Amino acid sequence: MASSHLTGIGSESKQLATWYFTFAAIIFGAQLLFGLVAAIQFVMPGFLYGILDFSIARILHVNALVVWMVFAMFGSVYWLLPDETGIETIGIKIGKLLFWVFAAAIVVVVLVYLLVQVGPASDTTIWFITEGREYIEAPRWADYGIVVVVLGFVANLFFTGMKGQQTGIVTVLMADMIAFAGLYLAGMFFTDSISMDQYWWWWVIHLWVEATWEVFVGAIAAYGLITMIGAHRKVVEMWLWIEVAMLFGSGILGLGHHYFWIGTPEYWWEIGALFSALEPLPLVAMFVHVLYDWGKETGLQMAEGYEGHAIDGHTVTNKPAFTWFVMNAFGNFLGAGVWGFFHTLPQVNLYTHGTQFTAAHGHLAFFGAYATILIGMFYLAIQGTNGIKILRHTKLSIWSTSLIALGMLGMTAALTIAGYVQVIVSRAQLGATWAGYFDGQSGPWFTQAMDWRLIMGVVVFTGFILLVIDLLTTGKKSVHKI
Amino acid sequence: MNKESTVANKSVWSDNRFWQRSATWVTGFASLLLIWLTFDSMGQIAMGNDADIQNGVTKRVPGPTVINRKITYEMSAARGHEIPVIGAKEMFFGRDDYSEEEAGALLHLGKLGQQAKNCMACHTLLGNGAYYAPDLTKAWLDPAWGPNGPLQAMTGKETKEEAMAEFLQHPNLYPTHARMMPDLGITAEEAKGLVAFLKHMSSIDTNGFPRNFGRMQGAVHGK
Amino acid sequence: MFEAFTDVVPSFFGWLNQGPLTLTLFLHTVIILPMIAIYYQEKKRLAEEN
Repeated sequence: MASSHLTGIGSESKQLATWYFTFAAIIFGAQLLFGLVAAIQFVMPGFLYGILDFSIARILHVNALVVWMVFAMFGSVYWLLPDETGIETIGIKIGKLLFWVFAAAIVVVVLVYLLVQVGPASDTTIWFITEGREYIEAPRWADYGIVVVVLGFVANLFFTGMKGQQTGIVTVLMADMIAFAGLYLAGMFFTDSISMDQYWWWWVIHLWVEATWEVFVGAIAAYGLITMIGAHRKVVEMWLWIEVAMLFGSGILGLGHHYFWIGTPEYWWEIGALFSALEPLPLVAMFVHVLYDWGKETGLQMAEGYEGHAIDGHTVTNKPAFTWFVMNAFGNFLGAGVWGFFHTLPQVNLYTHGTQFTAAHGHLAFFGAYATILIGMFYLAIQGTNGIKILRHTKLSIWSTSLIALGMLGMTAALTIAGYVQVIVSRAQLGATWAGYFDGQSGPWFTQAMDWRLIMGVVVFTGFILLVIDLLTTGKKSVHKI
Repeated sequence: MNKESTVANKSVWSDNRFWQRSATWVTGFASLLLIWLTFDSMGQIAMGNDADIQNGVTKRVPGPTVINRKITYEMSAARGHEIPVIGAKEMFFGRDDYSEEEAGALLHLGKLGQQAKNCMACHTLLGNGAYYAPDLTKAWLDPAWGPNGPLQAMTGKETKEEAMAEFLQHPNLYPTHARMMPDLGITAEEAKGLVAFLKHMSSIDTNGFPRNFGRMQGAVHGK
Repeated sequence: MFEAFTDVVPSFFGWLNQGPLTLTLFLHTVIILPMIAIYYQEKKRLAEEN
């Protein structure tokens, strides 16, 4: 029975998961704060000039994004491992130690970003201050530290999976996390050639967010469906293998859509376009899968005589988490799939490359594909650690979910309009020059889009505050069925 | 109740093993094809050398001594888009005879500098980065830095490269927009390296990105 | 019948890229074919198991 999986008490692996989730939530807050600073700077250019310039705010915003998501992903694995394998995670004490090492390293890296910011053009800077490459600015010493921590995590996963029950979900995660970890190595070198630099940089970023991370989401969604609505393992695991085939079948060669303009051969136009155009398809599958299974389980459990999962008529045993999982199904398809498809063909991308259109896609995709399901996992952990049978919505959970979702959609709309303007004015009309760039930035459509983006960012941040309050308080509320 | 035992002829389409094996095959094939294409691309984007430039051998990523040369961006009828063209020798910071080692050292310093100062956290290089400041792919060829543009006069310099280097060392003294570039502590030597990096980057064959660079005036295709 | 190669550096894969539809049909056929073999193998195994 799925409900017996929910007890978090007594499992060290689940306890470690809650540590990872807690740190992730804090870093998520930092991400939003630095995002607000950057958004304000687009509207008021002198804001914190010389103190916390846009470049530093942006670095902190995107690094915090990656860090909180990686922490939450690790937490998700530590959380589900005992349920899936039936045993306590092997080497969990080392896992716990590595958590503290990881967290401490992040704190040091962030402090250096904030207080030192830049360095001279030397290897020392690259090793100790910043590598200056998007998302992976972390200095080389931290890279090695991350490799050690990740190896420990992968070892925990592998030994537990091999000793305990190696379900389909665990098998997918084992393979996926090896790839996820190995890919990070592709970013750990310096080259004089900007083309070579960007070629390998994309191996990390694309094969993370458009391949291994998506497969991870598929695995977590499968676990969530089993846990929350009693979906049958064989069914969700079949879907999972289909999703893996489609995700890797499209995503691995879809990497080529980043090789249109960086100095690489022209054949990447066709390879990148054709495979990345297919990337939305598995997201449709994931979307259909979640909603279909929900409807099917509800129907089955309403029928009499079925040895159902339902408890007192509730199909879903964790309403807030399931809401976030369904939002993941929509958001993944919309943000990653649709917005991604808009600008994936080279004929379009030639004009949208390097504009706010990319930012529009990035924001909705990261939110829809990853933030949503990871917040869902936070709620699963709250339920498990408090031993609650049915976790219901509270006013706070409904408000926070709505504000965050509407805020993100609003931000995306604003950024899409800003990107559209840039394409028409700066690129098509003015030929991508310095003057053309600034002309594009100064028209009313663009500036008003930046205003609205900031307003919507504040909406998201407000929703986040409510989310944090809900996560801290809902576990003890009497509205739930204990 | 075990559902499987009541099914006489289970379809392959609902069999997990079929999909697991298919997923393994598709992933393996896609990975191998990516690796093959990577080997091919690595050969194609390997940086050229001075001999290539001397002998007119076109490389997608020219060698560092391209800084000794004039670079333009011209339409190619065969390729259907603009391509960088490496021309005659041209002075760069007073010299047109940088050796491979000297030019390589300047490029190396510039690339390190570009990373050490987080340029991509405001600008885009080859279109990648942040969108707070202009794309720098063809900055070397930008009309604003040219003899008819405002920036040489603003920085009080007589050549493009000196104007760029001066700007980089004191960007807060030369505001071009309300959105100002901060002072990043760039030294004179680092500035020279960064300008060399920018000049080299403008010579990379980007399959025609950005389109129509510097050719449009208003909404009319001008010269 | 075959398009001339116009990119900067000659390569076999560049030549293989005759056109978007040709390339995608070719590559997807290559991917699907072994799945047909896997299908028949699994069908046989399921029939034997029952």
